[in-house]
Amino acid sequence: MDSRYQGGLERITMITDIDNSWKRDSDGLGVWEHRGKVAIAGFGHSPVDRRWDEVNLETTLGAYSLLACKQAVEDAGMSLDEIDGIVCCPTTISGDSGGSASNWAPRPYFDPPYDTEWGLTRVNAQWLIDNLGLKNVKFAPSAAPTISEMVGLASQAVGDGLCNNCLMIYPTGNMAGRYRRGGPNASDFAEGGNQWTAPWGNHGGNDFINIFPHQQYCRKYGGEHDDVAPFVINQHRNGLLTPWGFNYQNNIPQLTHDDYVSSRYILRPLRLWDCDRPVNAAGAYLFTTAERARDAKQTPVYVLNHSQHNFTFKTTQPTLDEIELWTDIAAKRMYEGSGLTAGEVDIFNPYDGYSIMAQFFLEGFQWHGVKRGDAFSFYADDIRVEGPHPLCSSGGNLGNGRTRTAMYTDSIEQLRGTAGARQVTTRAETALAAFTTPSSGGWIMLGKNPD
Amino acid sequence: MENVENIIISYDIDGTVIAGDPPGIITMDMIKRSKELGYIIGSASDRTITDQTQIWERNNIEMDFIVLKHTLPELVNKLKPRQGFHIGDTNMDEYYAKQSGLTFIDIINGDFKAFWEAILSKSF
Amino acid sequence: MPKLIPVPNELTKPYWDAVNSRKLLIQYCSDCQKLQYPINPSCYHCSQATSLGWKEVEGKGEIIAAIVIEDGRLNRRMPDQPYNLAVISLDEDPTINFYSNLPGTEPYKAPIGAKVSVTFEEVSPDQLIPEWTVDIKEV
Repeated sequence: MDSRYQGGLERITMITDIDNSWKRDSDGLGVWEHRGKVAIAGFGHSPVDRRWDEVNLETTLGAYSLLACKQAVEDAGMSLDEIDGIVCCPTTISGDSGGSASNWAPRPYFDPPYDTEWGLTRVNAQWLIDNLGLKNVKFAPSAAPTISEMVGLASQAVGDGLCNNCLMIYPTGNMAGRYRRGGPNASDFAEGGNQWTAPWGNHGGNDFINIFPHQQYCRKYGGEHDDVAPFVINQHRNGLLTPWGFNYQNNIPQLTHDDYVSSRYILRPLRLWDCDRPVNAAGAYLFTTAERARDAKQTPVYVLNHSQHNFTFKTTQPTLDEIELWTDIAAKRMYEGSGLTAGEVDIFNPYDGYSIMAQFFLEGFQWHGVKRGDAFSFYADDIRVEGPHPLCSSGGNLGNGRTRTAMYTDSIEQLRGTAGARQVTTRAETALAAFTTPSSGGWIMLGKNPD
Repeated sequence: MENVENIIISYDIDGTVIAGDPPGIITMDMIKRSKELGYIIGSASDRTITDQTQIWERNNIEMDFIVLKHTLPELVNKLKPRQGFHIGDTNMDEYYAKQSGLTFIDIINGDFKAFWEAILSKSF
Repeated sequence: MPKLIPVPNELTKPYWDAVNSRKLLIQYCSDCQKLQYPINPSCYHCSQATSLGWKEVEGKGEIIAAIVIEDGRLNRRMPDQPYNLAVISLDEDPTINFYSNLPGTEPYKAPIGAKVSVTFEEVSPDQLIPEWTVDIKEV
C-alpha cells in the first residue's frame, strides 16, 4: 500500500501490492461474478517501430506508452483526471536473455524523466503516473503481469471496485542486436532450469515448447508442417489491413505461399515466417464500469469473463497430449466463466507468436466446430476476414509485429463495428482473445452486449 | 588491375546495407560502384524475393542475382564463380557463405574497410 | 564443440554426481510410486518432498520427436549447427523425457520411433551429461 499526495491536499491511498486472489485460474468457478459489468471504453496504440534507436526521446518505450495512454483516454472521451487505476507490465519482453537487450543498462542517460531505464526501455505504473500527471490513482500494482493476465487483472479490479477507470498498458521493447542472444544464451554454462535443456541446444521458449508437439500432431493426425502456410499467409494479409501495425506502416509485401515454403528453417521444421518480428511499441486499454462505458464516446465492449492458466511441466518437454489437455482445460474454464459455448464465439483471436501454437488453441476451443486434428484442413479453407471463417481477424503478431496487442484491439474493433477493411461479414457480437501460450497465460471474452 | 570477371559479391541486406533494418554501412553508391567495376553482384537475404527486388528497384540498381540467403550454395553451384564474397552481419551469413565456398566478409567485426579498398582496387 | 556445462546446485548435485559416474539416477516418490525428471524440490503428483528419493534407471528409451536446430540462440552451440535435438521418452516411464543430440546420427536423419540407450558425454573436464544413441539394430 502506498499513501501519497497526488495534487491538491487530499491524501489518496494507492494499492500497489496485490496477491493472486484476483485470478480465475482454477476449474469450477462458475460464471464470472462481474460478467457484463466491466467494459473496455477506449484503446490506443503507439507507432510500431522495429527498434528504439537509443537516441530519439520521442520514440522511447516511455514516450510511446504515454502516447498510447492518451489515445486510449481520448478514445473513451474521458479525461486523465478520471483515471484511478493503472496496470502496466514493468518487465522487458525480451527477458534475461534479450540479446544486446541484456546490455541495455547501464547506459548514458538523459535528463529526467529519462534519467533511468524507466521510460527508456521499461515502463511501470509509477512512471506513467508521474509523467501523465495522474492525480487520482488508487490502484497501481507494482508487479503487474504480462498482457495475457493483465486484461484479467484490470477487469477484476474494476469489477471489485478497486478502481473505476483503469488504464492497462502493455509496452513491448526492442533494441539493436539480435534478439535474445545475450545473458544465459551467451553463457558457456547452464544454470537453474536451463541445466535440463540448454546443454542440448534448447534456448528456452515457446518455439521449442510447441514445435515437438506440433511434430507429434502431424504424425498423429496426418499433415506436414507446411500445412500451416495458409494460416501464416492469412495473418500477414490481415496485418496489411491493420493501419497501426508494423507490416502496414512499413509496406511489407504480402507473404505468398512460395515465400513461406521457400523460407529457411530456424528449428526445422519451424520456418522463419513461423516466427514473429520483435518491435518497439505500446498499446493501452481503458477498462471501466459498464455504467460509465455507456456514457463514453465509443460503443462499449463488455467483459464477459477472464481466465488464467499456469500448468507445470511434468517432465522436460511437453508432449502433444499435454498441450491438448492444457488447451482443453483453458477452453473449459473460459466457456464456463463466460456462460457461452464454442458456437457462440464469433471473433476468435488466439496468439500466434509462433504460428504453431494457434492450431492447438483453435482445436481446444473448437471454434467453428474445429476438433482435434482438423486445424490444417480448416486453414486450407476460407479463413479470410471477409469469408465464413474469419480466423484471427487481427493478424496477430505475425501480421503486425510482436506487440501482443493486436488480438485485443481487433476484438474491440470488430465488436464496435470499426475494424474497417478487417471487419468480418459474419456475426460479431462476441470475441475471444489472448496473448497466451498453451502452458501459461490467460484469455478474455468480450461481448457487444452485457448479457 | 586484376580482371574481376566471374567474381561474385553477395550482399546481405539487414544490418549490412543502408536500406536494411537495421541500416548497415554499405551505401547504394558503393553497390553501384561494385557493379560498374565488373563484379557479379546480388543480394542474399532472409527478406522475400519480392521485398528484395523492391529495394533494388527503388534504388535503381540492377542486381545480377537476388536470392534467399540459405540458397547461396545453389546459386554458387550454378554460377561457378572464380571467386566470391558474401558480406553480412550474422553467424547465419557466415554459415551460408562457407557452405557456398564464398569468403565471408564480417561487416561488424571484420576489417570491412580494407576489404572494400581491395574491391575497389581489384587487388585481392 | 562442447555443449553447455550444467551447473549443479544443492538439489541437483546427486543427479549430476551420478551422471559423472555414468549412472542415470532420477527422483522417485515412494508414496506415489512415480519417477520424476527433471529434478524438482517436490513430487509432481503429490507436491510433497518427504517421500522423494532417488532411483537408478536403466537408460533405455525411444525417440518420440526430433527437430534440427539450424539457427539457435545459444552462442556456444552455434558452430555445431545444424544439429539434431530429439525428445527421448524413458522406457521405464514413457511420461518422462530427456533431450538428446543423438550422437552418431547425422542431422536430419533422426529415426523417430527408434530405440535408444543412454551414454555419457564430457562437456568439461569434470562434468558429463547424459546423451542417447540409437541402438545398432535400429540403424
